[in-house]
Amino acid sequence: MFKHLFKLIWNKKKQNFLLMSEILVSFLVIFAVFTLLVYYYNNYKKPMGFDYKNVWIVNYNNVENTKNTDSLDLYYETLRQTILSMPQVSGVSFTSDNTPFTQNTNSGEIKYNGQVLDNNNWYTVDDDYLAVLNMQLLQGRWFNKTDAVSKYKPVVINSDLKEKVFGNGPALGKIFTGYDDKDNFKVIGVVQSLKMKGDYAPAGIGLYQRTDTGSYHWLGKFMVKVNPGADATFEGRLYKTLANYMKNSDVEIEHLTDKRKSINYFTLVPIIVMLIVGCFLIINVALGLFGVLWYNINKRKGEIGLRRAIGASGQSVSSQLVAEALILATFSLIVGAFFAVQFPILNLFDLPAGVYIAAIILSVIFIYLLVLVCSLYPGRQAAAILPAVALHED
Amino acid sequence: MAHRFNNRVLKYSIMLKNYFKIAIAVLRRHKFFTFISLFGISFTLTILLVLTAFIDKVVGDNYPDKKRDRSLYVSRLSEEGKGTMSSGMVSFYFLDHYVRSLKTPTDIAISSVFSGTNTYVNDKKIAVNYKYTNAAYWDIMEYDFVEGKAFDKQAVANAEKVAVISEDMKAEYFGDVPSVVGKYIEADNVKYRVIGVVKNVPITSYMTYSDIYLPYTVAKDGNFKDKGYRGGYYGILLAASKSDLSKMHNEYEQMVQKLPMEAKQYNKIYSHADPYIASYVDTGNENQSGVVLVLTILSVFVVIFMLLPTLNLVNINITRIMERSSEIGVRKAFGASSKTLVYQFIVENIILTLLGGLIGLVLSFIVIQVINSMNLIANLELSINFMVLFIGLLVCLVFGLLSGVYPAWRMSKLNVVTALKAQ
Repeated sequence: MFKHLFKLIWNKKKQNFLLMSEILVSFLVIFAVFTLLVYYYNNYKKPMGFDYKNVWIVNYNNVENTKNTDSLDLYYETLRQTILSMPQVSGVSFTSDNTPFTQNTNSGEIKYNGQVLDNNNWYTVDDDYLAVLNMQLLQGRWFNKTDAVSKYKPVVINSDLKEKVFGNGPALGKIFTGYDDKDNFKVIGVVQSLKMKGDYAPAGIGLYQRTDTGSYHWLGKFMVKVNPGADATFEGRLYKTLANYMKNSDVEIEHLTDKRKSINYFTLVPIIVMLIVGCFLIINVALGLFGVLWYNINKRKGEIGLRRAIGASGQSVSSQLVAEALILATFSLIVGAFFAVQFPILNLFDLPAGVYIAAIILSVIFIYLLVLVCSLYPGRQAAAILPAVALHED
Repeated sequence: MAHRFNNRVLKYSIMLKNYFKIAIAVLRRHKFFTFISLFGISFTLTILLVLTAFIDKVVGDNYPDKKRDRSLYVSRLSEEGKGTMSSGMVSFYFLDHYVRSLKTPTDIAISSVFSGTNTYVNDKKIAVNYKYTNAAYWDIMEYDFVEGKAFDKQAVANAEKVAVISEDMKAEYFGDVPSVVGKYIEADNVKYRVIGVVKNVPITSYMTYSDIYLPYTVAKDGNFKDKGYRGGYYGILLAASKSDLSKMHNEYEQMVQKLPMEAKQYNKIYSHADPYIASYVDTGNENQSGVVLVLTILSVFVVIFMLLPTLNLVNINITRIMERSSEIGVRKAFGASSKTLVYQFIVENIILTLLGGLIGLVLSFIVIQVINSMNLIANLELSINFMVLFIGLLVCLVFGLLSGVYPAWRMSKLNVVTALKAQ
């Protein structure tokens, strides 16, 4: 049966070649679309890892009023106490500028047993960071005042980093080395990874280090956790307080809820555009496929009539035509899948292999369904051909 | 002579009319295939048109820097040393001191990157983006003033607390009032006197966008006095004429080469004065040209995107050749020449393409209206680029002719008998 179908396809190789290349290109387009969809969906499924509601970010430009570290510390500690004394405020935390939902990224060289960990995120944060963002501590502890003096710099790592380096093994007490093997960092805790770049972006591997006495020289942001009732009137008052205290600096207050919306928006808009374009291409291909198959059947009336006349049932004629289309699709899919598997093999774009494999499977299913749907109606029409009519026409 | 000529015109016009009639009849007879072709052509064109409308607006819109063709933009300076690289925007001092020493530029517009602050009016929060500029900025840029005027050298020198605001800011802060010049706007806890209102700039023109424009001398942090090379400023160098651009570019490069190193870990400084597009898509990496990167991404997208509808069109046309063969056979049997038949197919394809183009145009118009009304990006008003429409139509036509007319022409060379037998 298959041999016969192959022969039929081979006889019209020129025409089928075009049809196959069309299916191949569609497969590649669909593969790209599904890869992104699977990737974003995987990220979306994962927990946020922190509470962004009622957290405000204050940006100030750090104008060094004094070179003296002690008086600088006193200056910002006083500011912290002033804000904390407001009844609507429940927490304040100074942090490096890679706060949640910004494009800012800080990274530095970090190694474990000689293995360099690329694309890491370094967060410099203070003791209140965990509480302000309501993060989940999975193992060990968060920073406290005792960390100011210790032989190794203490770091807290996120669950992604832990999984990547230690798997299920213990992480606490392990030592990371930094640039030139000079700095040593000792893991004191593991936190649930935070999706800092929005709902659809991966958390990535992250390390937290504690602010030290010199940090106020360069810090430019702090987060304020407010009570649910805090409104614009309070915000205005907070703003005045800050601006009057930091006379030489520009102050801006942003809400994490707004920042989350805008960073998600930047991910979603390209996806939506891509889906619209993808849909259009698929409709276009489906119509074309349908047209070509339908036309072919009209042209093969004689052949089909003959088949019916020598005893083929309507069902078998119809399934023969559908099978022909599916075989054509299979050829394209084999070639397409060959290209597609290069992505996980060569590790292009640094996506997990699972995403590509899921995308390949989904696109194969999708193309088969598409071809099936497009050939069902022409197939059924072929089944309805009466041998007497078809042969008489010829 | 004139009479003969008239006769010929008449003959051709009748012929053309006949071709037209036949073509419409053919298109109507195969409604489904006509629909597929039209769908492919019109949607492909729509997406291309919307995409280029977007690019056109984002990089092609020259409000307010209308003198773009004789300006060079300075946005970045990189310092490189052994195993260390540091890159960022340039400082006010760098522009005002080193770049100002160049002979070719007639003037230099200096402005800071916009940054955000808040203001609170009637218990409502307003997010404000502000930008510091020098006085020359207003001479080089051609903002449309709705009312008032820009601040001048004197105001900058005196560090007057004056502000030029955007139309949007005016509406948001003052509400629906006819004139706001002379009123005070509070931003970042400082009161500024409004002296001018300008037409909005979309945020995509990030080098000129802002809600409030202030003299650089009023900046609270006073970092315009810092003597380092790097800071948060852009420079726009204006040449006397277009022909001076390359001279200005070279002079800038020479100036950068002579710069003394800021710190001993560095041994090389890079900075360029580039045309608008190159500086707009600057990647921040000395070895990677933004223009090449953007062009590659765009052309890969367009090729992949065009490939499918084209394959589809070719596929359908080639499939239908058999059907056309009997048509050709019959018409040849009744005495039509190859030439006549080819004309017939050309007219048919042109009609199909033009019809698709028309639908595409209407669709793009609707899509662009919808995008504009959704206000995805504030103040970004898209419009259709007719050059792209023309090129898109041309491409459709070429492929239509290749896939529809060429095989038909070859078939028209066949014997009547062979053509008829093909059925």
